[in-house]
This record gives sequence, C-alpha cells and structure tokens, in this order.
Amino acid sequence: MHLVAEVLDQQLCDSRGKPAGRVDGIVLELRDDKPPRVAYVEVSPITFLSRINRRLSRWYARHDRRFGEGRGVAFRVPWTRLTPSGTALQIDIDSEATPIVAVEQWLRRRIVERIPGG
Amino acid sequence: MKRILDLALGIVTSVGGFLEIGSIATAAQAGASFGFQLAWAIALGTLCIAFLVEMAGRFAAVSKHTIADAMRERFGAPFFTTLAAIMLGVSLLVMAAEVGGVGAALELATGISIPIWAIPVALVAWALLWYTTFGVIENGVSLLGLVTVAFVVGAVKLHPQYGEVARGLIPTLPKQDAAKYWFTAVSILGASISPYLFFFYSSGAIEDKWDTTYLWSNRAIAAIGMGFGGFLSIAVLVLAALIFHPHNIEVEHYQQLPELLTPVLGRAGFWLVVASLAIACLGATLEIALALAYLVAQGLGWTWGENVKPREDARFCLLYTVLVFAASLFSLAGADPLKMTQISMALTAASLPIGVLPFLVLMNDRQYLGDHTNRVAGNAIVMVISVLAGVLALISIPLQIIGGS
Repeated sequence: MHLVAEVLDQQLCDSRGKPAGRVDGIVLELRDDKPPRVAYVEVSPITFLSRINRRLSRWYARHDRRFGEGRGVAFRVPWTRLTPSGTALQIDIDSEATPIVAVEQWLRRRIVERIPGG
Repeated sequence: MKRILDLALGIVTSVGGFLEIGSIATAAQAGASFGFQLAWAIALGTLCIAFLVEMAGRFAAVSKHTIADAMRERFGAPFFTTLAAIMLGVSLLVMAAEVGGVGAALELATGISIPIWAIPVALVAWALLWYTTFGVIENGVSLLGLVTVAFVVGAVKLHPQYGEVARGLIPTLPKQDAAKYWFTAVSILGASISPYLFFFYSSGAIEDKWDTTYLWSNRAIAAIGMGFGGFLSIAVLVLAALIFHPHNIEVEHYQQLPELLTPVLGRAGFWLVVASLAIACLGATLEIALALAYLVAQGLGWTWGENVKPREDARFCLLYTVLVFAASLFSLAGADPLKMTQISMALTAASLPIGVLPFLVLMNDRQYLGDHTNRVAGNAIVMVISVLAGVLALISIPLQIIGGS
C-alpha cells in the first residue's frame, strides 16, 4: 500500500457510511531495529492547517482547546480501525461521537436547527 | 424512454443555464464595439467549455469522484487550499456580478434602484437553496432560462448578413483599439469558460448517481447544450452589432441592455430582456453558490448534498448561505453590475489555467478513468484555449488599466 498516494488525503466514512473528514495526516511509530509502523491517521483541521502554515495551525489549536476534553489536539484514529470501502476508507467508529464532526454538530444545534426548514 | 427524457432535459437545462450576466454583457459589448469581429472568441470559449463539461461528467460517471474530491486526493492539502482560495475569490466576484444582474433587471422593471434589491435577491436565492432540491434548481431555473431564446428570435428578425457573421468566427487582428479588443476577447473567454461550471456539473452527476451508461447522454448534453448556449451568446453579439455598432454606441450601462430587443420586438422585447437577465443571473447565482460549497465540502470531506436536509450537512448549507449574502454586499454598497462583470470575467480568464491544467492531469489518470481517459484532441483543445485565455488576460488586464476604460 502506498501511504501518500492511497491513504493521505483520502475521504473517510464512518461506521454508518457517513462522510467523516479526510486523512489529514499519518502518524508513524518508530521501532528499534524494525521498520517503522503506521500507528494512526489524523483527522483534524489542526493537522490540515499544519501542512499549509504552522502558525495558522497553532492558532486554530489554541482556540479549539477551549471547547473541552480532547480538543486542541489532532484527533487520531488507530490504523487497525481502517478498511477500504468503495472510493473511501471506512473507520469503524461513529463519527458523531468524535471531534471530527464537532463543528458540524455545533453549527447544527446553534444555527441550522433554529432556522425554519433546517 | 426515461433516458431520452433525461437527455432532452439535460440539453434544455444546459442551454437555459448558459447565458448569465457575463455572457450577455460581454457579447453585447463586443458587438457594440467591434461588430461581428469578436464572434470567434465566443466560438472558442464555447468549444472549450463543451469539452470541459463533457470531461467533468465523464470523470464523475466513471470514477465516482467529484473533481474537487479528486483534486484533494491527488494533489494534496496545500495545492487544494490554494486552488480553493483562488476559486472562492474569483467566483465570489462573479456571483456578486450575478446578484447585481438580478438587481439590474428588477431596477429596469420597477425603477427601484439596485442596492435596495441586494438583500431581497440574496434572500430569494438562499431560500431556493435551503428549501428545494438539486432537481428543482437544475431543471426549474434552467427551464425558465429558455426565455433567453428570445435573443435568437430577435437576431433572426433583424436579418443579419450571415456571411459576415460567419467571417467573425475566424480570429482577426483589430483595426483600432487593440487593448480594448483583446480585453473584450478575454472577458468573453472568461464568461464562456466558467470554472465553477465543471465543479458544479461533476457534483451534479454524483448527486444524480451517474454511471458509465450515462457517457453517451453526457457527451450529447455537453455538445448540443453548450453548442446552443454559445449560439445564444452569438445572437446577443449579432443584436448589439446591428443595433449599437452602426451608431458607434458603446454598451456602458446595463440600462442599455433592453435596447437589444426593443427595436425588434417593442415593449415585449423590453420585458423579455428583463426576464432573461433576472432568471439567467438568479440561476447563475444559485449554481455558483452551490459549486463553491461543493468545492470546499468535498475537499475537506464534509457531508454535502443539495438533496439532504440542511441539518444533515450544516457546514455545507451555512457555507452557501454566507457566500450568497457576501456576494450581495457588493450591490448593497452600490457597485455597478457591468463593472463587476468586466472585472470578474477578466479575472476568471486569468485564473483559468490554475483550475483547468490540474483537471487535465486527472482526466489522463488511468487510476480514476481506466480506459476512459482523455484523447489527444480533447487535451489539446482545452489546454490551448485555457492557456491562451490566461496569457491574453495577463497581458490585456494591465493594458486596460493603463489605457483606462
């Protein structure tokens, strides 16, 4: 498997088949005397932005931290929970319970559901 | 039978959706200033967009990816961000011109000035996006857009010298006003080849669940639909060439646009121009807002779609909401729709290679398209025309600024 061509930036979908962001980064684990191993993929604006501008990424992380537990750092999905599925990679996690869709949920509750027809 | 209906509908909608403020204004200005001489720019632009739309549909039908999706996947986050930023900037200006176009039509109809219409127009556009589905927007607005066929009726009634018109299809050097000639040519290319259109089209193909059985209808829709669309633009150019050009009248104000049809069709002509302008520009506003929301949502892996309830794709829906209202601010602040059109069409042309060339790379990637990759002719035509538009824009925009308009 080619990590950059076939994993990085791929669309993710969650256990219910809903879009769950993209693979923004890949975390390798270095091991003594053995080849490195893929440990996690990161799905987070913090990782996405760090590929464009470090300062922007730190700024985002600082603000994100205020939203509580598990925020302010990139969300990681263990490599073992990924399987290819059609044009996407599937993670066996319900994205609604993760920070991947935290902004989506916040906007839905605070704005969209208050607009008629939302 | 359903396929034939789909095909007919597809062709009709792409004809109805072709004209918008960009193509109407640039064709009218070209005809007024240069007679039939710039018809070639419309033909070239139409040829290029027909190829691009065919490619966009084929890409989605075969690979099941939208273009924005594949661009992120294939070229990575930094490239995607750059592309999205440029597209958002340029297309927001185009959308501002379209909102201004609807406002101009309403001002012509009621006498109430454009800035007052800005927010109501944005509200109507937003409500259509928020409450209806993709099919309603694509088919409804574009069917109404068929009113733009009035321009063809008008042009035919004036009995133009068809030989002269055909001669304009061959590119020639200007006899005078070279800077203006090339700038107008660039604006026409920018107006015909709208990059938002192929992002929109590929997303539409995914929303409508196309597969490889749609390849033939896709080809027909692109060729016939875009071909007739270009034909409508030529009709506008012919009208302006016959009505304004002999009297040395330039098209400098949108208030002049009804004069394209009033000499031929009288009072009805006035209302046909107003209706064409209003419907075509509203349709384009909806398409651009959706295209940009698709681009960002697909590139970032959000849930997206015009056929799901807003609460299911909150970020997508709020993004088009913000864009529509942002675009209306220009008109609210009193920006002139024709000026906005000129600037945004030239910038579209300048930015064309940035969107089109990576797309051509995707179209030649067997990982996505298998045996359905581009042929040499398609590659060559699209590459040459879009690079030409970009280079001409980079040369003629500074000249136009120095020369003054």
